[in-house]
Amino acid sequence: MAATAHRQGRKAFGKDTGLQARMLMTLFLLGLVYAVLVGVLIAVGAGGVTILVIALALLGLQLFTSDKIAMGMMGVKEVSPQEEPELHGIIERLCVQADLPKPKVCVMENQMPNAFAMGRSQKRATVCATRGILELLSPAELEGVMAHELTHVINRDVMVMTLASFFATVASIIVQFGFFFGGGFGGGYGRGNNEGEEDVVIVIMVAMAVYAISFVLLRALSRYREFAADRGSAVLTGRPSALASALLKISGTMERIPSRDLRTAEGMSAFFIVPARAKRSLMNIFADHPPLEQRLAALERLESQLQGTA
Amino acid sequence: VGLLDALTGRHQVKGPAPDRLFAIATAYITLQSEHQIDPAGAAAIVFQKLENSEFEATMREMEEVVTATGGESGTQVKSKDDEYGYRWMVLRNPEGTPSVEDLAVGINAVSSSIEMGGHGERLLCAVFAFRDTQKRKLYFIYNYKRGFWYPFVPDSNPTRPQERSTERELQLKAQMGNELPMEPELERWFPLWGIPI
Repeated sequence: MAATAHRQGRKAFGKDTGLQARMLMTLFLLGLVYAVLVGVLIAVGAGGVTILVIALALLGLQLFTSDKIAMGMMGVKEVSPQEEPELHGIIERLCVQADLPKPKVCVMENQMPNAFAMGRSQKRATVCATRGILELLSPAELEGVMAHELTHVINRDVMVMTLASFFATVASIIVQFGFFFGGGFGGGYGRGNNEGEEDVVIVIMVAMAVYAISFVLLRALSRYREFAADRGSAVLTGRPSALASALLKISGTMERIPSRDLRTAEGMSAFFIVPARAKRSLMNIFADHPPLEQRLAALERLESQLQGTA
Repeated sequence: VGLLDALTGRHQVKGPAPDRLFAIATAYITLQSEHQIDPAGAAAIVFQKLENSEFEATMREMEEVVTATGGESGTQVKSKDDEYGYRWMVLRNPEGTPSVEDLAVGINAVSSSIEMGGHGERLLCAVFAFRDTQKRKLYFIYNYKRGFWYPFVPDSNPTRPQERSTERELQLKAQMGNELPMEPELERWFPLWGIPI
């Protein structure tokens, strides 16, 4: 009897149907917005389809090379177990726990405390920690952070976010280059010049709207996935408060560090554990990470679930 | 992780695989008779401890159970926390009478009480220690999530810390592959440094 009660208690730990529903809703809305864009592109004929094909090729290129390019640009170095025994030890145990193949382990020689995960699949994942985070955090806190990054790997966040933002990229290409290559849109059969020009204007307007709406939706999706990764970390380690403490420590340091250091890492911030921007965003809907207070509150709820007081 | 799980970022920690722990209780005979590898009289189970009162209660119950089952065979139990925050329960046979069966029974008692308490997903692995003719330490590690065994041989040369003898491990895999369900993916042969047995 007691065992059954415990088991039910355990199952509830770390479950958040609301978060999953919000994520599915966001994905659904994104799909809806994208469907409009694709519909318009196909409706205008050959020019639109060409853009789709080029964008698909870009997507493939992004999936297969972006991690290498980003790593090269940021000066990330793979480390052996001999060089970083503690980091490897933490990640190995978490991999056993999560039933995950061991990712590439990298260190970035940077005093800014941060960590991120990259790679399109579980087999090709890379987790990276900065020198700053290794020095700042205790082993338990570092474990929480690494479990957060491994959850990104488990959830295939790089793949999901890249695919989800695919049509947003298409839309932004159209908005940026549509004016220059505008002539191509009107290439359908039997159309007059005036009609073609109208098409171009319509496509650009639609692309602008799609880009604006999907931008907000994608940021929301990114925030939900951060919550999911925090949650996954807590479930994996059984220590939500250790991650909360790590987040507090990291954010405390982040705000003291001059922004000159941070700019170099700006583009990668989607997969950092704490966004690289020290300035707090005024409008939460444009932020790719949830505010610290909300993450701490979510972790606190998990801790009380764990302690059986929730 | 299925498609829906991937899309919604839902992820639960996996519980233990079907139990193949007891494979060691017969495999050691081959190790001893054919490969001159003797049991070192100690085994350990590694798991994450949860910092809550309910898990503490499970721990206490479990120690009672293991001490009781160990009482007949004289197996001694000791707990130890490592620097990664994992708990090791080390089981030792009485001096001079190593018995892999007793150790396997003891380890199984620990893992079943943890599973009974509903914490099966916290189990990491079990480790059985052996010695070859040169008194070198060899370990067989059982991964609870996967239900597979793999050998782990730390390099005995003290000038090379955290190096493992992959050659010896692959030999052991070839020697014991028929007896022990071996982890087929070599990248999951995770080392455990600083094993206290």
